[in-house]
Amino acid sequence: MDEYINTKMTANPLIVLREEFDDWAILFNPDTGDTYALNPLGVFIWKRLDGTQTVSEITEAIRTSAENVPDEVGKEVEDFLRDIVRLGLASGEKPSS
Amino acid sequence: MNNEPNEIKPFFPLGELYFYLTGDCNLRCRHCWIKPKYLLAGRSSSYLDKTLFAEIIAQAVGLGLSGVKLTGGEPLLHPQIADLIAIVQKGGLRLTIETNGTLCNREIAEKIASVENVFVSVSIDSPDQDIHEWIRGKKGCFFEAVAGVKNLVQFGVRPQIIMTIMHSNKDQLEPLVRLAESLGAGSVKFNILQPTARGEQMFADGEAVDIAELIKLGKWVDEELSKTTKLPLYYDVPLAFRSLKSMFSPKSGNGCHTCGIFRILGVLADGSYALCGIGETVPDLIFGDAAHDPLKNVWENSAVLNDIRAGLPAKLKGVCSECLLKHVCLGSCIAQNYYSNRDLWAPHWFCQEAYNRGLFPASRLRRPPENQPLQEKEKQLPEAKNSGYP
Repeated sequence: MDEYINTKMTANPLIVLREEFDDWAILFNPDTGDTYALNPLGVFIWKRLDGTQTVSEITEAIRTSAENVPDEVGKEVEDFLRDIVRLGLASGEKPSS
Repeated sequence: MNNEPNEIKPFFPLGELYFYLTGDCNLRCRHCWIKPKYLLAGRSSSYLDKTLFAEIIAQAVGLGLSGVKLTGGEPLLHPQIADLIAIVQKGGLRLTIETNGTLCNREIAEKIASVENVFVSVSIDSPDQDIHEWIRGKKGCFFEAVAGVKNLVQFGVRPQIIMTIMHSNKDQLEPLVRLAESLGAGSVKFNILQPTARGEQMFADGEAVDIAELIKLGKWVDEELSKTTKLPLYYDVPLAFRSLKSMFSPKSGNGCHTCGIFRILGVLADGSYALCGIGETVPDLIFGDAAHDPLKNVWENSAVLNDIRAGLPAKLKGVCSECLLKHVCLGSCIAQNYYSNRDLWAPHWFCQEAYNRGLFPASRLRRPPENQPLQEKEKQLPEAKNSGYP
């Protein structure tokens, strides 16, 4: 788990983000048509998947950017990232040991 | 000997049967998409045989059946409705009833309430007696429907109230919600008038509300009206016009509520198997006869059903082919699309007209029109400071 929080994540560049009026967004793969809904937290995270920020840093950015962040936010971020990696929407680079 | 490997066919369970129990109805609603014969008084004279009903269910259980919807015409007109409910109950199946409520007396309400897993919807098109009865075509039916709702509530069933939006009632959404609250209903659903059967005439008469106004009303229901009530509100437009939050938020979302076309089959009052109630007006969408055709054969070998399974949503045309939600929405209503165009893959009329008029949400299209900019903020950094945790 500790290793995962130091992973730097990169969004799949083929995937398109479409933000909507209420800060939710759609992610879709133009090749396959696969489509996913993102809530505002997911959008916040997605925009940070540029290969430079670790999972831990993204979690910290949420803590400093929003109010009333629950203690378990770290687990929520990790679960979300594991899901999008599984779906091929992003990939992670583990730190070299 | 055939050495070809066995073909592996995808399995589609038949999850739910929609029984259009009666070929007649005690109301003559101006917007009805089925157009049953009007029955002034008494019990139905055109209804599904009870024995056949039981046989169909027995066959369907082996195909995956988990629920039954009783609708019409008017299902409570069926002279053996209590027996039919008992058959569903005995089978341990989920029961859904769509009724105009006028015949839901205490006895039948108690019978319905005895089913463990039951959902009932009652149509009330206006909190105003005169408007409701103008739409429904019969004097006195407003208070009968209200009494039907009260009977259900008394026995512990909180029905959904369904209102179809048209010019004559478009300003009454909020009063209808207040009526539903006062009656103890469980939720409210707002339907869009469809250009099917009698609904076609309403469109011709100018009773249909303009799409731009319907879209605006939907946003108002979603963003404002829903905050004034504890009742879940469902505004039944194609998914492209609903906010992602209203569908997917674990806190306030109420699901997609799309047509279960891959897992349902209709049974008409004369025992015909059909796509759904559309078989009443479109014979092309009738697939067999329950009195003669084994259900398994109809369900697995109907050419139309297999076309739909193989082609939906990939073959959808028009704006539906470009919509990012087509895998969930599935063309919104294939029956409606076929009725209007005699083409299973035709786009939904609401979406296509909205697209033609530049009203379709650009963010929901694979390739947004050049003259319709996205509302997206892709290039911006997120402005989440002090926005609160979502």
